[in-house]
Amino acid sequence: MNRIWLHGLLRRRAGRLGMAAAGVAVAVALLASLGAFLASSQASMTARAVRDVPVDWQVQVQPGADPAAVLATVRATPGTMAALPVGFGRADGLTATTGATTQTTGAAVVLGLPDSYRATFPGELRTLAGTDHGVLLAQQTAANLGVSPGDTITANLLGGAAATFRVDGVVELPAANSLFQAVGAPPGSQPAAPPDNVVLLPEARWQALFAPLASTAAAPDLVRTQIHTVRGHVLPPDPASAFTQETGAARNLEAQSSGSAVVGDNLGAALDAARSDAAYAQVLFVFLGLPGAVLAGLLTAMVAAAGADRRRQEQALARSRGVSNAQAMRLAAVEAGSVALAGALIGLGVAAVVGWLAFGSVNFGATTVSAVAWTAGAALVGVLIAAASILAPANKDLRWATVAAVRRSAEPASARERGPWWSRYGVDVLLLAGGGLAVWASSGNGYQLVLAPEGVPTISVSYWAFAGPALLWAGAGLLVWRLADLALRRRQLVRRALRPVAGGLAPTAAAMMARRRRPVARAIVLLGLALAFAASTATFNATYQAQAEADAQLTNGADVTVSESPGVRVGPDAAAALAGVAGVRAVEPLQHRFAYVGADLQDLYGVAPATITGVTALQDTYFQGGSARALMNTLAASPDSILVSAETVKDYQLHPGDVVNLRLQDSATKQLTTVPFHYAGIVNEFPTAPKDSFFVANASYVAAQTGSNAVGAFLIDTGGQNVTSVAQAVQARLGASATVTDIAHTRSRVGSSLTAVDLAGLTRVELAFALVLAAAAGGLVLFLGLTERRRTFAIATALGATRRQLRGLVAAEAVLLTAGGLAAGVAVGWLLSQVLVAVLTGVFDPPPAALTIPWPYLAGTALITVAALGAAAAGALGQGHRPPARELRQL
Amino acid sequence: MSAEKVDAGVAGLAAPVRAGALVVCDAVSRTFRRGGVEVAAVRAASCRVESGMRVALTGPSGSGKSTLLHLLAGLDTPTGGHLSWPGLGGLPRERPGTVGMVFQGPSLIPALDVVENVALPLLLAGLGETEAVERACAALDRLRIGELGVRLPHEISGGQAQRVAVARVLASRPRMILADEPTGQLDHDTGDRVVSVLLETADELGAALVVSTHDAQVARRLSRCWRMDDGRLGIEAAS
Ligand SMILES: Nc1ncnc2c1ncn2[C@@H]1O[C@H](COP(=O)(O)OP(=O)(O)O)[C@@H](O)[C@H]1O
Ligand SMILES: [Mg+2]
Repeated sequence: MNRIWLHGLLRRRAGRLGMAAAGVAVAVALLASLGAFLASSQASMTARAVRDVPVDWQVQVQPGADPAAVLATVRATPGTMAALPVGFGRADGLTATTGATTQTTGAAVVLGLPDSYRATFPGELRTLAGTDHGVLLAQQTAANLGVSPGDTITANLLGGAAATFRVDGVVELPAANSLFQAVGAPPGSQPAAPPDNVVLLPEARWQALFAPLASTAAAPDLVRTQIHTVRGHVLPPDPASAFTQETGAARNLEAQSSGSAVVGDNLGAALDAARSDAAYAQVLFVFLGLPGAVLAGLLTAMVAAAGADRRRQEQALARSRGVSNAQAMRLAAVEAGSVALAGALIGLGVAAVVGWLAFGSVNFGATTVSAVAWTAGAALVGVLIAAASILAPANKDLRWATVAAVRRSAEPASARERGPWWSRYGVDVLLLAGGGLAVWASSGNGYQLVLAPEGVPTISVSYWAFAGPALLWAGAGLLVWRLADLALRRRQLVRRALRPVAGGLAPTAAAMMARRRRPVARAIVLLGLALAFAASTATFNATYQAQAEADAQLTNGADVTVSESPGVRVGPDAAAALAGVAGVRAVEPLQHRFAYVGADLQDLYGVAPATITGVTALQDTYFQGGSARALMNTLAASPDSILVSAETVKDYQLHPGDVVNLRLQDSATKQLTTVPFHYAGIVNEFPTAPKDSFFVANASYVAAQTGSNAVGAFLIDTGGQNVTSVAQAVQARLGASATVTDIAHTRSRVGSSLTAVDLAGLTRVELAFALVLAAAAGGLVLFLGLTERRRTFAIATALGATRRQLRGLVAAEAVLLTAGGLAAGVAVGWLLSQVLVAVLTGVFDPPPAALTIPWPYLAGTALITVAALGAAAAGALGQGHRPPARELRQL
Repeated sequence: MSAEKVDAGVAGLAAPVRAGALVVCDAVSRTFRRGGVEVAAVRAASCRVESGMRVALTGPSGSGKSTLLHLLAGLDTPTGGHLSWPGLGGLPRERPGTVGMVFQGPSLIPALDVVENVALPLLLAGLGETEAVERACAALDRLRIGELGVRLPHEISGGQAQRVAVARVLASRPRMILADEPTGQLDHDTGDRVVSVLLETADELGAALVVSTHDAQVARRLSRCWRMDDGRLGIEAAS
């Protein structure tokens, strides 16, 4: 019996079952693709976090313990690939005499490094000038002392005598923050900044100076030894598990060494950060993926509902022939089961193709377990959708016991019917209000979407944040329904609106639409939400990309940046030579100095305020107290103006116009000289500037006050084109005297590991699905609505309707649906874009000043949706104009 | 469509009634294919309907009555033979309002109320809304179902729906009325009344009337009787 039924069913309803299966397939494919994205992105986050750690462990030997014994323990720890001892000694000052002047610095750290250190930990040191080995000075120290390779410096060792060294090279310490961390100290009591002055000595030399001091019991922390360790990176792909495994190993070592070693776990810290990025990726998945899956589910339900009338009639007929309720449900189960099976298989197939196209892998997860989990999960959702949209209504249909009851219940629902039940209780308004409150609460200051306390293995995602957008989605959908329902009731209005399309049949079209309010309003809601999904996803992605690009711009400074080596003195006129390189559009010199404010040393950037915006983008969010343009104008108008960090404003209680006295090095005397500035505004971010405090001032004022116009960097605008080849050409022209970086290279390195994730792949997948959903929502729903009324059109044809008149009737419905759907899509899409960006502020770095609207995609989506609606209308018309006799004979 | 043709159809009362054949069937056949099996619903039927003719089309169920009426109305195309409408000036579908058909099954548009259903052919023929509604109401009153005007098709009985379908034909004042078992779902008295209204209207309009029925009493009220049997049309002499 089931087999016969299934055969008949498949024959008669092949089209509709196919469409329902397609709806299920879209949901399954979307979830499986996003699952693949999530799994692959987590693995790449782990890999990236691990890759960028210069020293995995800094194992601090505790006072009184034997460094050699600790070194042996570390080397014996499973997973350790290499371990080298590093000595930390201190000096209370450095002195250098160059020419007639003598410079003195404050306290310095003296490091002792084994010869193989550089090869083992290549990320820790970068040579800027001189040789790779021997006595090395940190860049800032060399600048403070005004020395270059070949000069001599003297160090007053703490607890020892003075020692004199010949400087062999100048290095940059890219990982100074972690190198000079207080190992074992809680995150809150870490030093605010690495030491200003650092001398690096070969191990033997360091031992000779400091080994005697190490044994002095009087000052146990004058001299310390750390064991720097490389760990084998065989870690679980998921950052959270990797973090747990890695910190476990570190703790195990501490236990093994019975108190003689404390691990500074840089690898763990990096994984810790990746862990919260992974949590954000998960959050993104939920925010961007779930609405799509829900929409696909709604679409499936709508497709299934389009056949409801006929199905009820069939069921009533079957019952009158003695089919029992249980049998009827079994038949519906067969139908739902075949839709679920076909949908899940097609969906997983599509996801495999999508994964292959977008992420270059057919895997649904990084591991077999997650692959199976994602596949099964997505398929399960497909089964649920099929059950909810076919089985549940069939169960409800059992109430329609007789053919007569079916006829009486048949669409359209009575014209005297009041609005939907929820509209009488204002459920839509309540949902919107609740959603607004939730968004307000979860996007306010201090709200943390993802909470991953440093060093604590648990990570918490605030799932409350999902409540806001979810409530807004539901509320907006219902509100659109209410508005559509209200508009359709106002027949005069609809009639007037439809007159241009339906002509003399406008009253008929308006009457039909008013009676079919429910399905028409539902279709408008579905189309509106699908468009809103496409619009909000695209806007979020565009904004995210724009901010990631801004981050790269901030870090690199411009398309191509030339950083001058310390000690090399280049004036702004060197820009002319760079401007001659092919592909260079503009060159902007940027001063870089160090300035003392009180006892604080900060970076100072001198800019040419009139031209700086020509080569690099300054966003308004980088500043406070005025727009980027206004503040640059201030710097130009009053050259002694200065922009300072918010922290400095707080520390020194600054008010606009206050005098800020900075101590800068005078080029003639090499001494610090006091230069007065006036506080004009706050700067949070600036191209090439560090994340912590710094100043921005007028370059010509700084040059006049210090007697030097030396430039720290040249920012080069290439119009975003050929950055790599321009960078190579510039480097070739300059030789080794300067470092040239380009934004393409920076882009691949900066930002959180979230940026590193193949967000472009996610974007493509998301946007393609959103487009499919929008087109399907429009086209399919209209088409089904029209085919369901083939009979209506056949009757009209039999009564003498011309092709043109039929076209008018169909077009009236298409136009109404399109206009309503587009209007709803724009309004809800705008709202949800704002909400997404507000709730997900945490993923943006720097935070966006405004949404970036992807106009081409939005226009394309609107066009394709309209085309789908047009095609559906044309298709329905093609069916409608067959000889009407056959259609009329049926029931 | 030209004003003249509208006049001929919708406003037909004022138009001169041309004598002669409205429709001519010459060995017309209609075969359906159903799952590879051919079903001949109408086999080489020849007939002509002239203005003022009153025809009863009788025959057992499944003999091809509905199929023939659909062919005469131009709603279906023959698979053999030749069909023309000399008195109507061409295919009825292109001459809206010239032929009125009462369908055997439900034929009201579910999303329109009764008055809107009756007025629809008039709107399709280009009449203004006010006039169309007035005429629709008049036709409903004539069939004594004026009070059903604002109901939707699923809110009335099958018999009432059939009378609405008759009213719809009356309102459009056609030159040929084809009624497919219009009394099939009606009790005897109501059916009688419907046939009377059809006859009166046809008289008023000077229109031809073809009524298919298997009710001998109904058939007797019409002057001619055509009999169908297994797709073959037998024409009896006028009584
Ligand atoms: N669309 C169709 N497809 C297949 N067979 C049909 C179709 N319409 C009618 N028939 C067949 O043609 C024959 C005549 O039907 P019909 O004209 O409805 O007869 P009647 O109106 O006299 O009862 C029947 O055998 C019927 O099954
Ligand atoms: Mg029949």
